[in-house]
Order: sequence, then structure tokens, then C-alpha cells
Amino acid sequence: MHFRSLILAVTRYVYRRERRAAVSDGYGCDGSDRSLGRANLVSLFNRARSVMLVLTSCLLASSLASAQNGTPAPRPEGEDSLMQVLTDKGLHDIENESWNAYGQFTYISSWKPSFDAPYTNLNGSINSLLPTAERSFTGTATLYLGLRLWKGAEAYLVPELISEQPFSQLRGLGGAIQNFELQKGGASVPQVYRSRLFLKQTIGLGGKSDVEESGPLQLGTHYDSRRLVFVAGNFTILDFFDTNAFDIDPRQGFLSLGFMTYAAYDFASDARGYSYGGIGEFHWDDWAVRYGRITPPKQPNQLPVDFRLLKYYGDQVEVEHKHTIHEQEGMIRVLGYRNRENMGRFSDAIAAFDANPQENATTCTGFNYGSQNAGAPDLCWARKPNIKEGIGAFAEQYIGHDIGVFARGMYSDGKTEVYAYTSTDRSATVGVLAKGSVWSRSKDLTGIGGNLGWISNIHAKYLGMGGVDGFIGDGAITAGSERSLDMFYSANLGKVYWLTGDYQHITNPGFNAARGPVNVFTVRVHGEF
Amino acid sequence: MASFKPHRSCVRVLLAALALLSFRPLPADAQQQPAGFAVERFYQSAPGGGWFIMDDLDISGRLGGAISITSGYARNPLVITDPDSKQKLAVVSQEAFLDIGGAVTYHRFRAYLDLPMPLSVTGTSGTLGPYQFTAPSVNLGTTPDTVSDFRIGVDTRLLGEPGSLLRLGAGAQVIFPSGNRSDYVSDARYRAMFRFLAAGDAGAYSYAGQLGVHVRPLNDAPVPGSPNGSEFLYGISGGRRFAGPTGWRFVAGPEIYGETAFHQFFSGETGTEALLTGRLEQIGERKLRIKLGVGHALVQNFGAAQWRVVFGVELFGHK
Repeated sequence: MHFRSLILAVTRYVYRRERRAAVSDGYGCDGSDRSLGRANLVSLFNRARSVMLVLTSCLLASSLASAQNGTPAPRPEGEDSLMQVLTDKGLHDIENESWNAYGQFTYISSWKPSFDAPYTNLNGSINSLLPTAERSFTGTATLYLGLRLWKGAEAYLVPELISEQPFSQLRGLGGAIQNFELQKGGASVPQVYRSRLFLKQTIGLGGKSDVEESGPLQLGTHYDSRRLVFVAGNFTILDFFDTNAFDIDPRQGFLSLGFMTYAAYDFASDARGYSYGGIGEFHWDDWAVRYGRITPPKQPNQLPVDFRLLKYYGDQVEVEHKHTIHEQEGMIRVLGYRNRENMGRFSDAIAAFDANPQENATTCTGFNYGSQNAGAPDLCWARKPNIKEGIGAFAEQYIGHDIGVFARGMYSDGKTEVYAYTSTDRSATVGVLAKGSVWSRSKDLTGIGGNLGWISNIHAKYLGMGGVDGFIGDGAITAGSERSLDMFYSANLGKVYWLTGDYQHITNPGFNAARGPVNVFTVRVHGEF
Repeated sequence: MASFKPHRSCVRVLLAALALLSFRPLPADAQQQPAGFAVERFYQSAPGGGWFIMDDLDISGRLGGAISITSGYARNPLVITDPDSKQKLAVVSQEAFLDIGGAVTYHRFRAYLDLPMPLSVTGTSGTLGPYQFTAPSVNLGTTPDTVSDFRIGVDTRLLGEPGSLLRLGAGAQVIFPSGNRSDYVSDARYRAMFRFLAAGDAGAYSYAGQLGVHVRPLNDAPVPGSPNGSEFLYGISGGRRFAGPTGWRFVAGPEIYGETAFHQFFSGETGTEALLTGRLEQIGERKLRIKLGVGHALVQNFGAAQWRVVFGVELFGHK
């Protein structure tokens, strides 16, 4: 599991949009904030109120859900950064870069009070969220290095450091894991690793000239609006697919994992969330279509990578369209994925156990999660090359100058175990994000969102028999949708630092209505340079 | 019959004792298992440094920078000899790495970051005396994202101008622990290096040299072939420039470098390698440098490979 990886996804789209608006209005970035008149504010609030009502209705109806994800985004013009400082001193051209370097550090501390649970790790199953009070933290530091090699070619290298301590050894939650930075197999002892090393080649095909602002994983440059893009190397698929809503950096936005991307999108990746592979993109003005094939891990949710890309792989296709409604920008995406991995089907594990109870969770000598429940089936007995598929849709829409709403939903087949991301089989998310320009704090960010997840009937049956997968399995289950509400306020301090307060309310943790609800309180400190 | 009961008891006790003895730890189980250490001693110069190990101290101009990508293969970098039986064990027999570095220069100063990434580290497990060595098994599949003991360093040119007969400088590096000792890619300790650097050009010839200290807290001195605390660093290189295609030149010459533990100063724990290098350099404001080196151990000891091939590309320049 990877969870952390994805991070970057900053405010690229928001800032890009700001910049375009500023240019068209004849204002700079600073001026764009001032351009909001009182009439606009009233209109904006009215729209926001309407949207909130719609969102609340959606949440109450237990329907939509979503997730954010993505890639680091360009830093807005005027932002304090090393690149901007060098540009100001005439030592760097931030709009047409031959290289750049950015960095960030983030510390996230979460606290979970005790909650009600009639049972925990029943009969030797091992994947319950512990009902006792717990503290969790992550600390990360990242360096983003970019270099232009030749015309249209960009290379990126991203070393990263992480230290972490999850709740309950990262067990007991589906898509509602409270901190997207957490990695499976992580440790409190800091670990340094290379998160990305890839080459991107862009071939212009004409059209308009789009500005790409400088930022992490992006050299400042201009691209043709019609172009081909090829990527090869080591990256997270979320750098390119289902990029974050409004390109908000997760390190500034929602904390729940369910907002990184579709919780049901079990994209192939190692335990940290990264993959090797290739991606091809075709951009035609407001349209884009992309395809990627990437490596899965050798074993589910583990770090070692299987490079046999013709035998085991994760394929994904995404179609994207940008639009404008009443002069407000928006985007719609449809994503489908198909993984071929050495994974177990729930039905096969159950059938194996029914046929021979000796084939239970305690007797398999192949890769397993260490359950001690001798009366439970185990996926270990059922692993073989299998297919996992899913399809999802995403929409984001600005409804005012600095406020936008988004929604995501994905349906995966739910026949096989989680191999990389979360145990969720179907997910939906809705959310609203707003910058603080209305109250004269344009670098502040606030948001509220709901994240829902379901598991398939066969998945629930397997868990009900005491089985475990990579993250969940209490020993018994009263199946229900896992729901989380996430609200946060991120206050900018000293231009390059953000202090965030976040609250999450998780209902039916691990899709088990017999346990919970769980409250999580989080503080985050984030800095960029 | 009853009189036999005590004897039966004795027999049972004896059998039990024999059984216990048969399950007692074997000598091999009692053997010590060395934890591993950072075998690689190919401490590259900073990106843009010209040579592979030495530094040409060609640091000048306004803001500038360099990017380097180096990849190499080393054969038998850790062969341990049992002092008693003269038996040899190649605990690390093959090592391939990728190293990416970036540097920023300003006037006579340089700061840099160097990220070594092991691609493959393998060897042979075995027993030597009281020690049970476990060979590493590192490859991209098992450890897809390892960064091993990365370095941050600063160099400065103290005396002399670029192109002059004598340039003197100094450099310092901090090596951060990263990766696993058992993979023989890390000491799992913070380390530091302090070096005095010299370089110069005389007509078509150029040279460089270094003397320094490698502050290395790890000391597994009793274990054969293992670190012996802090080390003394030395090295020298010389080459001749040849005119190349328009806008290019070629430099060829040897580099000899190594280290010796202060504990056994040039008496035991010493490793020295010689590398025959050639590099094609672009002449201009923004330069490309392509380097190739082939080497052999002069004194094969921990980290000094039996033979080695290295390939590197550097892109560098300044305002």
C-alpha cells in the first residue's frame, strides 16, 4: 500500500486557472484577489450555499464519493521558492526552465480516542482497528529535481524520506485511512528511498500554446495544446492519472486516504505506491486520453516489484475533458483499469476452505498475512493469475473564483483481494474546497468532504467467515458501508508554511457496522521551498 | 522386575540427555553473523568534478550547476580471506549501481547531493572460522527504490584560478545512513569526509590529487574484511588532453585511489584501485562530458574491486 506517494498534487489547476483569469482581467495574481467585488462575494456565497445543500443531500443519500490524488503541482507565480528567488535575481528563467528544484516537509500527527467495539481480532483474525486510544504520525521530506535533456525531454528524480507510525499497524480501515502519507511496511526509523525517476518526452502537434508553470515534477515551459506525451520509468500512476481535484496538494488539502483517488482504484504499485512502467498521452485541446501499463508487486501490498510486464501488469485508460460552464472551469474524467496479478479470489478461498477445512488461515505456507484464525479461509490458498477490473468517473467544477466542488465514484468487480491500494471494492466521494481569499487569506485552504466505500457480497462473506485481506478482517462482520467525513482548515503561516487542523468521523470502520464510529483529530505542519 | 525400574529410569535420563545433546546448538549456530557494511568505496567526485574520483577544482563563474549520472559494475569488491585456512569467500561478488548527483556552483564554491542506488548486489554465503557470512541479494525487483548512504557535500577552490598550474581546495561531505547493512550497501551510521584537494593544468596535461579523512564510526575490527574505524583517503590522477571533433576534446589518463584504516595504517586494512579513464568533453558555456573508466585493484581489500567498469555522463555549466 502506498498511500503516501501520491502527494504532490498541488494547486496546479487552481493556480493555473487563477493565472489565466488574472491575465484575461488584466490583473496579476495579487490583483485577481482584489478583483472580487461585493456582488461577486454574494453570488459566490449563494452558489456555495446551494452546492453545500446538494453535497449534504448527496452525503445523506449515501451515494457519491470521491477521492483526490495526484502529482505535485506548479507553485503559483510570486510564491516564495528557491526558483522564484533565483528568477528575481536574474539567475534563472522560471518560465522556460532547463532545470528546477523544489522541496517540502510535512509532519502529520493524529490522535484517535477509544471507541466502542463488541469484538476485536475475533478468533485470531488480526486486522481490526484497535478500540483503544492511539496516536499516529508521519514525517516526510521530499526533494523534487527536474532537468531538461533535449527538446521536449524532461527527466525527474525525487528522493524522499519518511518516518511513520500508523494506527493499529495500518489495520482495520478500508478507504478511510486517516492519513494518506502512511505506507504499508513503514517504520518510525526514517527511511530514504527514491520515489520517482522518469523521463517524459513531449511531441508538439500544434494548437494553442499552454503555459505550464514551474513546480515539483514540472519544468516551467509552454506546451502545444495538441501533443503526444510519453513517460517511462519509476513513478506513481497518480502523477498522471486521476490527478488531484483542482490539483490541490494533498499535503495542503484533505488528509483522508479516500480523497487521494478512487478508494476502489486498486492501481498496481509497490507498498509505497510507486510503479515502473510507461504511459502515453494524447492531448487535443480540451480533450486528453492516456494509457499506462505499470508493474505490480510480487506479493500483494509488498515492496518487491514484479517486472514481468507481459505476464503481470496493471493497465489503465483515462479520457479527460475540460469545459467551462458559465465561465467557470471544470473537468470530467472517466477511468478504467484492468490488473492481471497473482492474487486470490474470495470465492476460491472459501471453496478451498469448504472443501478442506485444513486449508485455513493458519496452515498455508505461501505468502499470507499471519492470521491465527484456524476456522477461517485464507486467500493464500487461492492465489493464481487473476484479473481485477474497475471503472470510475470524476468531475470537478468551479462554482466561484476560489471555490470548487468535486465528486468521484468507482465500481470494481470485487472478486479478488486488494493488491495495492485499499480493500474497498466500490467507492464514492464528494467534496468542496475553498481558498481563503474571501476572508483576505488567499493562501489558506479549507474543505469538507465525504467518502463512502463498499465491499462486494463475496468479500463480505469471506470476512464474515473470519478471513483477512491486506488491511481488514475483524473475524466477523456486520457488513455496512464505510463512511468518513473529513473537514480541515489549512492556515498559511509565513508564506511557505501551513498549519492544518483536521477532523474525521469514520463510521463502520473496515466495513463493519458492529464497530465504531471512530473520531480522528489531526494536526499537520507543512513547509515548501 | 522391580529391580530394573531404576535402571530404566537411568536409561530414560540418559536418552533424554542424548536427545538434548543432539539438539544443542551446532557450532555453526553459535557462529557470529557479521551485520554487513557499506562495501562500495568508489567515492565519486562531485558532479562536474571532471575525474571520477579526483576533482579538477574548475569552479568559477556566477550561478552554475551540474548533473551527473554514473553507472558501474564491480567484480569481487568484498573477498574475505580466512586468516587461518587461507580460504576465500566472495561475500560480495558482483555489484552494479546507478548514481545520480546534482551540484550548484557559485564563484569558487560548490554544494552537491549524491544519490547512490544499488541495482544489483550479490555474493556467496559461507563460513569462515567463527563467522557465518550471509551474502546480499539486492536487485531492482526486491528493493525497487533503495537509496544507499547518500551524500551531501561542499567543496571550495581556495587557491589558483581555473586553468592554472596549481589549484588547491577543500571539501567536506556528510554521508547519511540509508539502506540495510545486511545488503552491504550501508554502514547504518552517519559518516563524514574531509578532503584536501589539488589540481592543475600544464599545457596539454592535467592532474589532480586528494588527501583526506573518512570519519567512520563503524568498527567491526575483529571480523575479517570488515570496517576498522576511520580511514585515511588518498588519490592521484593525471591525463593528457587531445583535440577532438569541433567543440570537443578528449582527456585520457589514470586515477589511483584508495583508503587505509588508521588502526592499521597501510599495514593491513588497505584497499587501492587503479582506473584508466577517458572522457570526452564539450567545450562551451553549457558542457556535456561523457566518461568511461576501466580499473583493477592494486591492493584488493574491502571495497576495492578486483576489476571495475564505470560509465558516466555529466551536464554542467554556469552563467
